[in-house]
Amino acid sequence: MIALPIIALLVGFFAVYWLPALPSVWAGYIAICILAGADALIGGLRARLEKRFDEAVFVTGFFANMLIAALLCYVGDKLDVDLYLAVTVALGIRIFTNLGRIRALLVTAQRRRRSSGAAGPE
Amino acid sequence: MGESVQSGRHWLLVLTGLCLVLGALLGLQVKARVARGDTQMARRTNALVAMVSEARTQIENQRKEIADLRIQLSKYEEEAAAGHGLVKLSEELQNSRAALGLLPMRGPGIELTLDDSAMKADDNGGSSDLFVIHDFDLIGIINELWAAGAEAISLNGQRLVTGSAITCSGRLIQVNKVTIPPPFTFQVIGNQDNLMSALNIRDGALDRLRRLEFVVKLTPKDEVTVPAIAIAPKFRYARPVLEESVP
Repeated sequence: MIALPIIALLVGFFAVYWLPALPSVWAGYIAICILAGADALIGGLRARLEKRFDEAVFVTGFFANMLIAALLCYVGDKLDVDLYLAVTVALGIRIFTNLGRIRALLVTAQRRRRSSGAAGPE
Repeated sequence: MGESVQSGRHWLLVLTGLCLVLGALLGLQVKARVARGDTQMARRTNALVAMVSEARTQIENQRKEIADLRIQLSKYEEEAAAGHGLVKLSEELQNSRAALGLLPMRGPGIELTLDDSAMKADDNGGSSDLFVIHDFDLIGIINELWAAGAEAISLNGQRLVTGSAITCSGRLIQVNKVTIPPPFTFQVIGNQDNLMSALNIRDGALDRLRRLEFVVKLTPKDEVTVPAIAIAPKFRYARPVLEESVP
């Protein structure tokens, strides 16, 4: 079950890898999109562990995050301001905090399970 | 409990779909990176390329302006001289200018285009140096042209004058300190028969290139225009000697 998203990730990767390469102008935007997408996925995982997951929020967030991040970079390019740095830093920090939060949640969940196991069967 | 399992499965499907999208983007990016290096690098390179091309067009525009102004100046001088009986002096001035390459020239002559050979190094295991045009190839041809009585020569739009040097830095050839890419095109004004036969001489400059399958196009032209040089030569060390007897 857990393997399904990972398989999808690999399938997506290799499906595109055989296609012709995009012009290098796009490379910066796609990098930002990847960061935004990863942030949305990790945010979704955290929300699920915290039991406040909302599917609509998750899916719209995934695409909207990407769009907004790319848009911000585009505006930055047009204005000659390195806005992509701001986006990178903001998303990077969020990914870090979310991952830290997920780790904490998993550790506490594990501990609770073990202590309840030690208490004996219900 | 049942609902929780249901939503769990659903959540996994959604996650799978989004992971597919993310994987595709990752694939695109990795591919682009493999194809042409770092993205940061691409950003910087794009900016630099834009700057260079802008500067280049600016230089080109200013060159044109200089050339136009020079022609205008010559015309004014001619008119002024006619009014003051200085026609002889004015003629001499124009001749000197023409000899220095400060005026564009027009006349009968030839056009010669050279490009790298279609043969490749790996066809016969030799060095690829054999199949590209080098600075010394061009120098040899220019020498041949002057010897055959060429009166004005330009190479890829660069007028060749007394101070013109053909140099090579790495794989690039420079004339008048301007980088010129292949194909190389000579515009030459002079006696067509002399120029043609000088170039086509057996074992001459073009013979060797033709044998190695270089692209060589030599055509006589009724009217050839050779541009002026962009920057007039300045004398920083040499001074004219005006005394009567020079040893």
